[in-house]
Formats: sequence, structure tokens, C-alpha cells
Amino acid sequence: MSVLVCENLQKSFPSRGRSTRAVQGVSLRVEPGEVLAFLGPNGAGKTTTIKMIAGLVRPDAGTVRVAGRDPHRDPWALRQLGAVLEGNRNVYWRLTPLENLEYFGVLRGLSAAEARHRGRALLERFDLTDKQNALTQQLSRGMQQKLAIAVSLVHEPSLLLLDEPTLGLDVEAAETVKQLIHELAEDGQAIVFTTHHLDVAQQLSHRVAIIREGRIVAEDHTDALLVRFSGEQYEIEVVGKIDAARRERLRALGAEPLDGRVVYLGAPEGLWDVLEALRPLPILRVEKDRADLTEVFLKLIREEERA
Amino acid sequence: MLRLIGIEFKRGLLMLRRYPMEMVGQLIVITMIFYGLFLGARYIAGPTAQFGERLDALVVGYVLWTFALFAIGDLSWGLMDEARTGTLEQVFLSPYGPSRVYLARNVAGLLVTLALNLGILLLIQLLTGVRLDFSPAVLAPLGAVLLGAYGIGFMLGALALLFKRIQAFLNLFQFVLMFLIMTPFEQFSGTARLAGELLPMTIGAGQLRALMARGEAFDPVVFGLALASGLAYLIVGLWVFDCAVRAAKERGLLGGY
Ligand SMILES: Nc1ncnc2c1ncn2[C@@H]1O[C@H](COP(=O)(O)OP(=O)(O)O)[C@@H](O)[C@H]1O
Ligand SMILES: [Mg+2]
Repeated sequence: MSVLVCENLQKSFPSRGRSTRAVQGVSLRVEPGEVLAFLGPNGAGKTTTIKMIAGLVRPDAGTVRVAGRDPHRDPWALRQLGAVLEGNRNVYWRLTPLENLEYFGVLRGLSAAEARHRGRALLERFDLTDKQNALTQQLSRGMQQKLAIAVSLVHEPSLLLLDEPTLGLDVEAAETVKQLIHELAEDGQAIVFTTHHLDVAQQLSHRVAIIREGRIVAEDHTDALLVRFSGEQYEIEVVGKIDAARRERLRALGAEPLDGRVVYLGAPEGLWDVLEALRPLPILRVEKDRADLTEVFLKLIREEERA
Repeated sequence: MLRLIGIEFKRGLLMLRRYPMEMVGQLIVITMIFYGLFLGARYIAGPTAQFGERLDALVVGYVLWTFALFAIGDLSWGLMDEARTGTLEQVFLSPYGPSRVYLARNVAGLLVTLALNLGILLLIQLLTGVRLDFSPAVLAPLGAVLLGAYGIGFMLGALALLFKRIQAFLNLFQFVLMFLIMTPFEQFSGTARLAGELLPMTIGAGQLRALMARGEAFDPVVFGLALASGLAYLIVGLWVFDCAVRAAKERGLLGGY
């Protein structure tokens, strides 16, 4: 069974007399063990979508199913969901990490003993054991964020929602949180996360959904999306100067010699002829240009703007 | 539900302990007030003095006033605070639902406050050698009044969810509470009396006055009415709160917005 199925979610907010169409027909699906990165510029509707999934914002239309159950109708659907929300503390600063885990564990339906037990295990796993009795207030931002993630996992939900999990963290803390998400994904935790950091999305996600002005403009496996947006372009780096005769041959083959490297834009089979033309210069590197998510993102957003 | 009350009780105690100075300050104030009452400084009881001149009446009146004030405002202050710091939505993610969580929190809060106050009262009785002797019957209408107060608390909580900043309004509510608790509706007649007794907390407060100031016997019928009124207001309060939760989700008002 899919961990998450959203169909045609819609939400408008009244604001200053007009209404903002925050989300206009978003459908998403997440299978067990899958990590979905949900990308989009500011105000695109990411948080609104996440909150509709978590039952915190009621959709105008469309349906949400978390492990088959609708959190808007059936409160116990929330048992299968953990969420760390954007820009929030998410945990009580006046309590220690372990106390937070116990409190929220019980709130999510565990017994106090179970919650404490799982809480300890999570602190161990997240490297927070030595802080378990410090006040949450006194932890670093990165540790607080790790704790928030631990708290959202204490009841072992099928789906973890992370809204901008690295926002506002310094480089090192962001790296730790990223590593943590990576480990959770390795262990098969299904995750939906939103982020502005496209490199984070590229490294962590199996699939990407890009949202703009409330609509999904692209959704695919991360690799497939990257391939789709990558140019048919090879770059060959060689040692030494390319002489005039070779330059001519290369141009005839449709390759462009620059200093120290050659850029080839033709059919992939033609690459062998280009390499032949370079013989016997030592080759340092042959590489197919590979788009990164930032390029994909910018292309899509610009395309949309032009349309 | 018991589980929730248990964990809220623990959370309440932990939160108190985290700010020892705050707690000590609170203890000192309560102790001084009770001590003052015991020494005969009647004016400390303020408006509640009308529950009777005797010491036990003063103490009961004062306890009623502070507990009702707490019951009415605590939830709203808590909701505003949690919306600001960003733990509100995590509470709303509980499958038990917010009204049950906050009901449990109220019960736990009441237990903590009750324990503090009883402890201090016992201590002062030991120190001064003065014994309070009020019949346990006064606890019944006191409880009924508190049920109504919590009902109002949930209604104000509904406002806090939808309008965020209602501090000024909450402060104003002290006067409403004073009006409800101090007006002797039970001595009015006709429609004025009926109207008065339909208001929250009035029947129970009236019974307290009858028991303590006028020395009348405990009337189970009046208590039944007080209890029914208290329960009705609590149920209506919870219903209003649930409606506000739905409206807040509709407008996306939980958390930041
Ligand atoms: N509760 C709300 N009331 C009014 N407008 C809102 C509310 N929540 C979000 N919006 C608006 O909806 C749009 C989408 O917001 P959001 O989902 O927060 O975007 P993102 O998380 O992608 O930055 C924005 O224009 C925002 O101003
Ligand atoms: Mg957002």
C-alpha cells in the first residue's frame, strides 16, 4: 500500500479581500521506503500542501490518504505520520530531550514506558544521549532540529514530513541533519521533505516534485529528471596543445576545440571518431554533461514564466 | 485519557520545576495571602469577602476566585504562547485531538494547583494552630463552579485560536468573572433570577454563599442544578472549541499565520 496518496488537493486562502490560490490541484504518491523531495520557490504552496497532508489545513477539494487513512476524517490516521514543521520549535524548550520524547510519544498514542524506551533508543541513534538531560533550550540549533526529527519518529510512523529541515541551520548543522535524513532513508523510512537547497534534494531524494504557483510542473525519479534535462554534450580534457590539423578534423566531426579541452555536441556514436582524432594525446577526462537539480529547477521555473 | 492526564501532570510539574524562582515566588505569594487571611486581614480577600466573615469563608472565597480565574484564562494563555513558540501544531498532530489533550492538561493543571494550595493551607494551619472547619459540603458547589469556569475557558480558547491576540480581552474577563460570582442572583426574584442562574457559575456561587455566609443547610437540588449548569457549560465550551479548531484548519490559522 502507498504510504501517501494525495489527489487533486486544492486550497485558497482569503487575504485582504482577494483570495490566494495557494495550491491548485496537487497530486502526490509516495511508496514505502521512498524519499520525495518537494521543491518550489517561496510561496509556491509547499507548506500548505504539507499541512494538508498532516491534517492541519483543511483542503477545499481533493483527498489525502496516509497509509490508506484520511487524517481529516479519521484522527488515528495521524498515528502513521510524523512531521517537523517549518520555522517552528516543534518541541518544548523547557523540557529535556528525553522528556520531550516521552511527552510527545504519549500524545501520539504510546504508553509512557514505551515512549521513554523508544526515546532513549532514538537519542542513542541520533547521537544525543549525552544531552538527554540538558534543557532543550540550551542545545545548539542543529541538535534541536535533530531532536525535533527524533520526536516526530518516536511513534514509528510510516510517513515522515519535513518542511525545510535545513532552513536556518549553519553549514555544519545542515550537514548533520542531511546525513541523518540520508540514514533514515537508508533504513527505509518514507519521507517527504521540502527544501530550498537543491543539492540536498539531489543527494537525498529518490523522486522530485517541483511545484510552482500551486501546481506541480515536474515530477519524476530524480535520476530520470536529471537525465531528461542534461544536454547531449561531452567534454574531453587532454594534456598538451591541440595542433591546427587536429583542430580542423575535430571541427569537421562537429567538436569544438577549446584550450586543453574539446566540447562535442553530436551523436553519442560519433564520440569514438572524436577520440580517434585526438590520438595519441593523453586523455585526462571524458564526461557527459549532467544537469544538476539547480539547472533543472531554474529551467522549469523560467519556462513557466515565459509560458 | 488517564494516560494523557498522567503525562500532562508530569509535564506540568517539570515545567514548574524548570523555573524554580517563578515557583518559589508563586508559593510565597500564596502563603502570604493565606497567612494574611489567617491573621484577620480581611481586605486581602477583596471582593470575595462577601462569602462570609468567618476565616473559612474567606479562604473558600479566595480559593474559588483564584481557581476560577485560572480555569478561565489558563488555556488561552497557553494556546497563545504555543502558537508563538511553535509547539501548537505538534499538539494538534495528536490522534487524541486537541480538545482531549487540552482537557487533560486542564485537569492536570488543576491537580497541581490544588496540591500547592492544600499543602500551603495545611502548613499554615500547623504553624498558626488555627483550624479551618468548613463542612466538606462546600467542595461540591466549588467543583460545580469550576466546571463552568473550564467551559468558559474553552470558549475563550476558541477565540485565542482564531484571533491570536486576545490578552486585553482576557484581562477584561476578570470583571465578568467578578460579576458572575459576586452577584447574589439566588436572592433575586422572577426573570432576573432565572436569567442570572442561566449564566455560567452563578448557581454554584449562590450555593456557596448560602452555605457559608448565611449558614443554610446543603440543598442537594440546588447542587444538582449547579452541577448540571457546570457540565452544560463545559460541554458547550468543548463544542465551541472543536468548532474553532475546524475553522482554524479551514483558514490555515494554526501556527504562524
Ligand atoms: N493561512 C494563510 N492565510 C493566507 N494566506 C496563506 C496562508 N498560508 C499560506 N498562504 C499563502 O499561500 C501561498 C503559499 O504559501 P506556502 O504554502 O507557505 O508556500 P511555500 O511553503 O512554498 O513557501 C503564499 O502566497 C502564502 O502567502
Ligand atoms: Mg514553506
